[in-house]
Amino acid sequence: MGIDPFILDVVIYVLMGISVLSMVRVFAGPTPEDRLVGLNLVVAQVLGILVIIAVKFDRSIYLDVALVYAILGFIGILAIARYLGNDRGGE
Amino acid sequence: MDVLLKWKISRAIITAVYLIVGWILFTGTFSLFSIFLGIIFSFFIATLTYSIFIEKQEVARRDLIPRVYFIFIYLVILICKIYIASFKMVPAVIVGNINPRIVHFRTRLSSKFARVILANSITLTPGTLTLDLDEDHLVVHWLDAKTTHSHYAGRLIKGHFESWLKRIWV
Amino acid sequence: MILVVYIFFGMGIFFGILGNVGVLKFPDIYTRLQASSKCAVTSLISILLACMFLKGLSPMTGKILVITVFFLVSSPVASHIIARGAWERGTTPWRRKKSQ
Repeated sequence: MGIDPFILDVVIYVLMGISVLSMVRVFAGPTPEDRLVGLNLVVAQVLGILVIIAVKFDRSIYLDVALVYAILGFIGILAIARYLGNDRGGE
Repeated sequence: MDVLLKWKISRAIITAVYLIVGWILFTGTFSLFSIFLGIIFSFFIATLTYSIFIEKQEVARRDLIPRVYFIFIYLVILICKIYIASFKMVPAVIVGNINPRIVHFRTRLSSKFARVILANSITLTPGTLTLDLDEDHLVVHWLDAKTTHSHYAGRLIKGHFESWLKRIWV
Repeated sequence: MILVVYIFFGMGIFFGILGNVGVLKFPDIYTRLQASSKCAVTSLISILLACMFLKGLSPMTGKILVITVFFLVSSPVASHIIARGAWERGTTPWRRKKSQ
């Protein structure tokens, strides 16, 4: 089943533009948590870009990159949130 | 054979089975060498870490081994609910007509795993966000709140999720 | 079948823009998290579903399904962690003024 590769390019460029838009919140957020919300959005959109690139070039190996990026983004946000909040002294 | 030892071995085996399923999903191949390597390393990791993944006291067998076909039904229902939720967010974002409140309520689910999934589902459904989950007590931030009474709010927010999860995990 | 792919890509872009507008527009951290956790998840799931429909039945579809399930589990947890950090630090939620 074929699709015009131009459409995939359009989606990739739109997602790039959206992630630049959400970087505004990362730079302008009054509290650290606001910056984290922006970062969370950027992680999701970059994940989408990676999956579309993998589908466009038809390389299964690029999906592994996307998966590792999803895991690392999640762990990064978790670590920053843990660092910011005063934790309950380890369980 | 000691009961505790038997329980330790079964915990390790259950952890290893989960790890093997993850390995097969990640590698995506069924070649003999790959599966052999996966089984060896799964058992190696399972013997080291089973006490972290599965605690010593668990309520029932259903906690560890959910009914698989219900999970697929639950996933489909969840994705439908996510789309409905997002379409409900459209007027709230564009017009900005919101009335946020904090509500507290309790859940009747006993399995820890089911509670976590209930909290995740609440986060994904319309206008609600789980702030804190402490044993069976949930703190929820509700965009466009209709009531602050604990019981009614719980019934409105949880909806059908609780009964579905009860069928999967007890 | 190709129409379904177009519809899902369109919904992904629409909800991505909507989530960003919500995050930029809403007044406090909790409401921003509401917009981000809903719309970002819907946007990404639409795009992943479109990719799955595009590839049909192939090993790539299985991997994309794994990514979808992982994201479906991890994204609410991330927003919950951020919200709990703000809640335990004592951030008071925004309320609408009575006079309006």
